[in-house]
Amino acid sequence: MYDSLRPEELSQVGKSPECADDVEKLCGTATYVSDMELPGMLHAQVKKSPHARARITRIDASKALAMDGVRAVVTGEELDYRLGLYVVDKRILAKGEVRHHGEAVAAVAADTIEIARAAVEAIVVDYEPLPPVLHHMDALKADAPLVHPDLGGYSYMAAAFTPMPGTNIANHTKLRKGDVEKGFAESAWVVEREYSCPSVQHVPMETHVAIVQWGKSDRVTIWTSAQSPFTVRNLFCHAFGLPHNDVRVHIPYVGGGFGGKAGIGVEPLAAVLSRKAGGRPVKFRASREEEFSLLPCRSALTYRLKTGVSAEGKILAQEMTLYWDSGAYADYAVNVTRASGYSASGPYEIPAAKVDSYTIYTNKPYGTAYRGFGHVEFHWAIERHMELIASAIGMDPLEFRLRNALKPGSRTLTGEEITEHTGNVRKCIETAAKAVSYGGLTKEEAERERLTGWKIGKGVAALQKAPAMPSYTSTAVIVKMNEDGTVAVNLALTDYGQGTYTSIRQIAAERLGFPLDKVKVSFECDTDKDPYDWQTVASKGLLLSGNATILACEDLLKNAYEVAAQALKANPCDLGHDGDKVYLKHHPAKSVSFASMAVGLALSNGNGIGGPLIGVGRYIAQGLTFLDKETGEGSPALDWTFGAHGMVVEVHPETGEYRVLKIASVYDVGKAINPEIVRGQAIGGMLQGLGTAICEGYIYDKEGRLLNPSFTDNKIPTAKDLPLVIECYVVETPQIDGPYGARGVGEHSMISVAPALGNAIQQAVGAQLMHMPMRFEDVWRAIGRKEAVDNWITKSPVGSCRSAPELRNRE
Amino acid sequence: MRIRLSVNGQVYARDVEEHRTLLRFLREDLGLPGTKEGCGMGECGACTVIYNGRAVNACMVLAVEADGATIETIEGEAKGDSLSDIQAAFERNHAVQCGFCTPGMVMSVKELLRENPKPDDDEIKEAIEGNFCRCTGYTQIIEAVRDLTGRSGEKGGLEHV
Amino acid sequence: MLYEFRYLSPRTLPDLLATLAEHAADGQVLAGGTDLLPNIRNGIRKPAFVIDSKLYPGAADLRWSESEGLHIGPAATISDVMRNKTARELFPTLCACAHELASHQVRNRATVAGNVVNASPCSDMAPALLCLGARAIVERAGGDRRELAFAGFFAGVKKTVLRPGEYLSGIVVPASAAKAKGRYLKLKRIAGHDLGIVGVLMTEKDGVLRFGVSSAAPTPVLVETVARKDGPEEAVRKVLASVSPIDDVRSTKAYREHMIGVYVRRLLEEVR
Repeated sequence: MYDSLRPEELSQVGKSPECADDVEKLCGTATYVSDMELPGMLHAQVKKSPHARARITRIDASKALAMDGVRAVVTGEELDYRLGLYVVDKRILAKGEVRHHGEAVAAVAADTIEIARAAVEAIVVDYEPLPPVLHHMDALKADAPLVHPDLGGYSYMAAAFTPMPGTNIANHTKLRKGDVEKGFAESAWVVEREYSCPSVQHVPMETHVAIVQWGKSDRVTIWTSAQSPFTVRNLFCHAFGLPHNDVRVHIPYVGGGFGGKAGIGVEPLAAVLSRKAGGRPVKFRASREEEFSLLPCRSALTYRLKTGVSAEGKILAQEMTLYWDSGAYADYAVNVTRASGYSASGPYEIPAAKVDSYTIYTNKPYGTAYRGFGHVEFHWAIERHMELIASAIGMDPLEFRLRNALKPGSRTLTGEEITEHTGNVRKCIETAAKAVSYGGLTKEEAERERLTGWKIGKGVAALQKAPAMPSYTSTAVIVKMNEDGTVAVNLALTDYGQGTYTSIRQIAAERLGFPLDKVKVSFECDTDKDPYDWQTVASKGLLLSGNATILACEDLLKNAYEVAAQALKANPCDLGHDGDKVYLKHHPAKSVSFASMAVGLALSNGNGIGGPLIGVGRYIAQGLTFLDKETGEGSPALDWTFGAHGMVVEVHPETGEYRVLKIASVYDVGKAINPEIVRGQAIGGMLQGLGTAICEGYIYDKEGRLLNPSFTDNKIPTAKDLPLVIECYVVETPQIDGPYGARGVGEHSMISVAPALGNAIQQAVGAQLMHMPMRFEDVWRAIGRKEAVDNWITKSPVGSCRSAPELRNRE
Repeated sequence: MRIRLSVNGQVYARDVEEHRTLLRFLREDLGLPGTKEGCGMGECGACTVIYNGRAVNACMVLAVEADGATIETIEGEAKGDSLSDIQAAFERNHAVQCGFCTPGMVMSVKELLRENPKPDDDEIKEAIEGNFCRCTGYTQIIEAVRDLTGRSGEKGGLEHV
Repeated sequence: MLYEFRYLSPRTLPDLLATLAEHAADGQVLAGGTDLLPNIRNGIRKPAFVIDSKLYPGAADLRWSESEGLHIGPAATISDVMRNKTARELFPTLCACAHELASHQVRNRATVAGNVVNASPCSDMAPALLCLGARAIVERAGGDRRELAFAGFFAGVKKTVLRPGEYLSGIVVPASAAKAKGRYLKLKRIAGHDLGIVGVLMTEKDGVLRFGVSSAAPTPVLVETVARKDGPEEAVRKVLASVSPIDDVRSTKAYREHMIGVYVRRLLEEVR
C-alpha cells in the first residue's frame, strides 16, 4: 500500500515520536505476567531429569502429595497429550523416556514456592540411563540411538515437511535448481568448507511465565508472557481437544521474546496443574537456569558449502548442506530448516543450486524460533565462505560480493524474480563498505595501529531474509472510534519492545489524517476481544498489520463519510475531513464532527443514523505459494529485506584479544516509519549479533549436561561491550505492497554481524575462524594455526568450540 | 521478624520471613512489583534499587537486613503526575523497548547522577555495566544520560542513503 | 527463591563471636551476601542460620594510621574501599583490583573480607592483599586472636585456614606497602563484568617485585621470587612454575599459561 507520497507530504510516517507504552514501563506500573497474582493462585515447580536419555522406571510422588500446602502433583504418566507446531512429537511432561538433561518429569503446584520446591525434592524418580546422542553429526550415523523411535507414528504438516522415520531426521528440505554437477564441471575453482555454530539462548530479561486457570466446564484462561496469543490458543485447543471459544489467552506486557516465546511454552504445564488442583490458577515461572536448560534455545548448525566459481568470479553452482541440531524435539526447528533451505545462499545469484537441509534430533534442550530464524546461523557460514572463496580465487571480497549480489532480473533459489522494488542489496553492501572505508586504513586507523600494536582489519557481510511464514498468513486490525472522536486500534500482533505499536499508531494517524494524540493502540492482547493475528514473528508484523491498519482506517472513514453524507445531504465524493470533522469540500462550514458520529449521529429531530464507527481491515499475504517438495520451487517470500554490515576490528596478534572499533549497518527497509525505532532495532540486534559472535554458546559435558546454565558462564553483552562507533543507515527502495512502502527489519539487524567480524579478524591477523563464537582463545589458536579446541573440558567431546576440518580446496 | 523501613519516602512496618529477599519483599509484601527479577543471582541488575543511597541488587539483600534502611525504587521516581527528568530523557531518546530492565536501569542512572552530575561515556557504561538489556543495545540509554547531562547534541541518527 | 533459614543479628563483636561459636556447624556469616545468598539459592550451601556481621560498631570502618596501615573492617564494602581517599592515594593497586570485581551493584554490597573468606581462586581482592603483604586479623570467642599474612590464608579451592568459630575481624594493609606501584591485568571473556580467565597483579616497592595471580591455581597465588634482574623470560618461567592452571568451561590450560606469560611481560614493562 504505497502511495508514492513524498516525505514532505507525510505528517506522521517518517518521524520518531515516543512510544506511548514507555510511560508505564518507566514508572514500574506496566504489568508483566511475572508480576501478576490472582486470588487462590498456586505456585508451580518442576522435577527435572538428571539424565540426557533414560527410561523412567518409577516415579514416587507420595511424600510430595502428603506435604501440607501441596495442591497438585502431575507426572507424565497421567497425561496423554502431544504438542508440536509442525511435527507433533512432544509431551507436556516426559512420559516413559526423558530426552534431554533438565527435561521436566513431574510438576507440583503448592501454596508457596518454597513448599513447591520442597515437594519437588521429595519426589523420587528412578531412571534407567541410556547412552545419549549429543552431537548432531553423530546422530546421523547408522548406529546412533534414536531420539524418537516412534517418529513414523507422529502426525505432521505434510505440505511442508518430510520426517524420516527410523532415523534421527525430523525433516529433510530439498531444493534443486538447475544442474550443479554441470556447473561444477564448468567452474574454474571449486571451494568446499564447513562452518558451525552452537546453540545459544534468547535471554529475554523476563523468563517464560504463565498463569493458567482451568475453570469449570473446561473453560481455560491463560495469562502468558508470549508473542502470539492466537497460536497459544490454537495449539492449546488442538492438544487438549477443546473448542476455541472455551480458551482465552491474555498477553499483557512481555519482557522480551526474540522468538523464544513465539509459540506455545509453559502454558500446558500450568494448565494440567490447575486442572488437577480443582481449577485454582497456577503460575509457573522459569528460573534463569530453567530458561537456559528447560526452555528451548536456538538450534546448532553445521553447514557444508561447496561453491563453483567461473574464471570471472561469478558463482556457477553451489551445493548447500545444512545439518541443524534440533535437540530433543522438533518444535520450530523443522521450519527453520525449511526457511533456511530456501534462503541458504544469502543474497547472491546462484544459477545452479542443490540444497539439503536436515533437522536432526539429539538428546539436548530443543531448538525453537530465534531472531533470524536460521539466518544468523547460516549467514555465518555463507559470509565467511564468500570471503574464503574470494581469497582462494584472488579477488577482493567486496568486489566478489558485488559481482554476485542479487539484482533486478536475478532469480532466487526458489525461482522468484528480483525486481527493482524488491530491495537493493548492492547499495547496502556499498554503503557499509564506504562507511568503514573498506579497502585500507584511514590515517587515524594507521596511527592507532602503529601506537597500539593491535592490527586493524575490516570486513563486510551481506544479508537477506524474507518472513518465514505460511503462504496464506493473515491478520486483521480493528479501529474503533471513541465518543470523543479519538480512535483505539485493536490487534493481536504483540509489542514486546520492538515498537511496532508506535509504528502502527503513526500509520493509523497518517491514514486517518488525525494528529497522533488522537490515536491509541490498545496494548494488551486478548483472544476474546482482539481480531486474529498469526504470530508476532518473522518481521512480518509491520507489513501485514500495517496494511490491515490502513484498510481499517479506510473502512472507518468510509463509514463516517456515509453518515456524514446523509447528515449533510451530500455525495460522499464531495466530502473531505480533518482531525475533527467531515466537511463539504465546496462549503467547508457545512460539517459534522467525528465525535458526534462516533457512536451514532442524532439528527436535530432526534432520529438516529449510522452507529458506532468501527473500521475493520484484513490483510492476507498475496500470491505466495507452497514450495515443491522435490525442487523447492515456489514463491515463499512476502518481501525480502536486504542489508549489510561493515566492521572495523583491532586484534592483538599475540593474544587473540580483539575490540570492535566500528560497525556500520545498512538495511533496505523500504520506508522507515519511525527512524528512532528502526535504529533501536538496528543497534539492539547488532549487539545481540555480537553476543552470538563473541561469547555466547552452550557447552555440554559428555553426559549431556549443560555446563553453563546461568549468567556466570553464559555471558551476554553489557554496555561495556559496545563497539566504539556505531552507524546505522537505511536504504529506502519502497516495498510496493508495504504500508507507505515499509518492510520489516526486526530480525535482520542480528544477521551477518558475526561473519562481518570473522572477516575483519581474518583481514587483521589472518586467523581463519570457521566456528562461532570467536572467543579470544579461538582467535589465538587460529592465528597460531593451533588445534582448535572442541571444548574446554577434558575427556568430553561435545562443546561449543568446534572447528570442523577443512574439507577440500581445489585450485 | 518485624522490620521497619522507608521505601520511596513511605515508612512500612511488617513481619517478614527471615529468608525472604528484599526483592520479593518489595514485590509481594509491599505491592511494589516495579523492581524485577531477571536471574536471582546478582548478575543481571533487573532488581537494582537504591539502598541507603547505593545501587544494589535487591535479590542479594535479605528483607531483614533492610530493617531501618532507606530504599528507593522505580515507583518513587515520578513526581506526582510528571515524569522525572531521567524518565523523560529515557522516553525522548527511545531508551525503552520491552521495559523489563528499565526500572533497574533508571535506578542505576539515578545513583550515578547523584554522585557524578557530568559523567563521561566510560562512567555511564560503568554505572550500567551490571544492568543487562537484551533489547536496546544500550546506545539510546547512554544517549538519554547524555541528554540529561548537557550533552544532548551527542546523539546518533538513522541516515537515509 | 532461597532455601529457608533463620537470621541472627548480633550487635556487638563479642556477641557475633559467641554466635559464631554456637553455630559453628550450622551457621554462615552473612556479610555482603553476594556469594552466600546465590550459594543458598543454588543449594550449594544450606545453613540453618545466617549471622549478620555488619551490625556492630566499627564493622565497616576504614581507618588509616601511619603506624598500623590501612585497617579494613570486615563489613567494609568493595565500593567503600574505592571511595576512600586514603585507599585511593596510598593503595591504588588495592583500588585497581577492587574495580575489577563484578559490577557496580555487587561492589556496593560485597565486602573485602567476604571476598577473601569465600576464597575463590578467581578472587580479585586476593592478589592485592597478597602482593601488599596484608595481614588477616582472626578472632574467636573466648579471646583468641591471631594475625597471619594472607600468604598463609588460603588453603584450597574455596577453603581458608580459618578454624570453626573463627572470624576474620579485620584486614590490615601495612603502611610499608603504601604507594607501591602496581597494575592488575584481568582477562575476561567480554569487556563487561565477568569472572577472570586469568588475572595477574604486579606490584613494585623499594625494588621488591611481587606477582599475585588469580584463576590459575586452587588458590590465589603470591610469587615473590622474581627480581628485575631476572629479565622477562625468567620472570615468566618463575610465575608459571608457581601456578597450575586447568582446562575448564572458561578456558584451557594452554591459553591461560600463554596469557600469564603475556601479562607478566607486559607488567614488567608498564609497572615502573
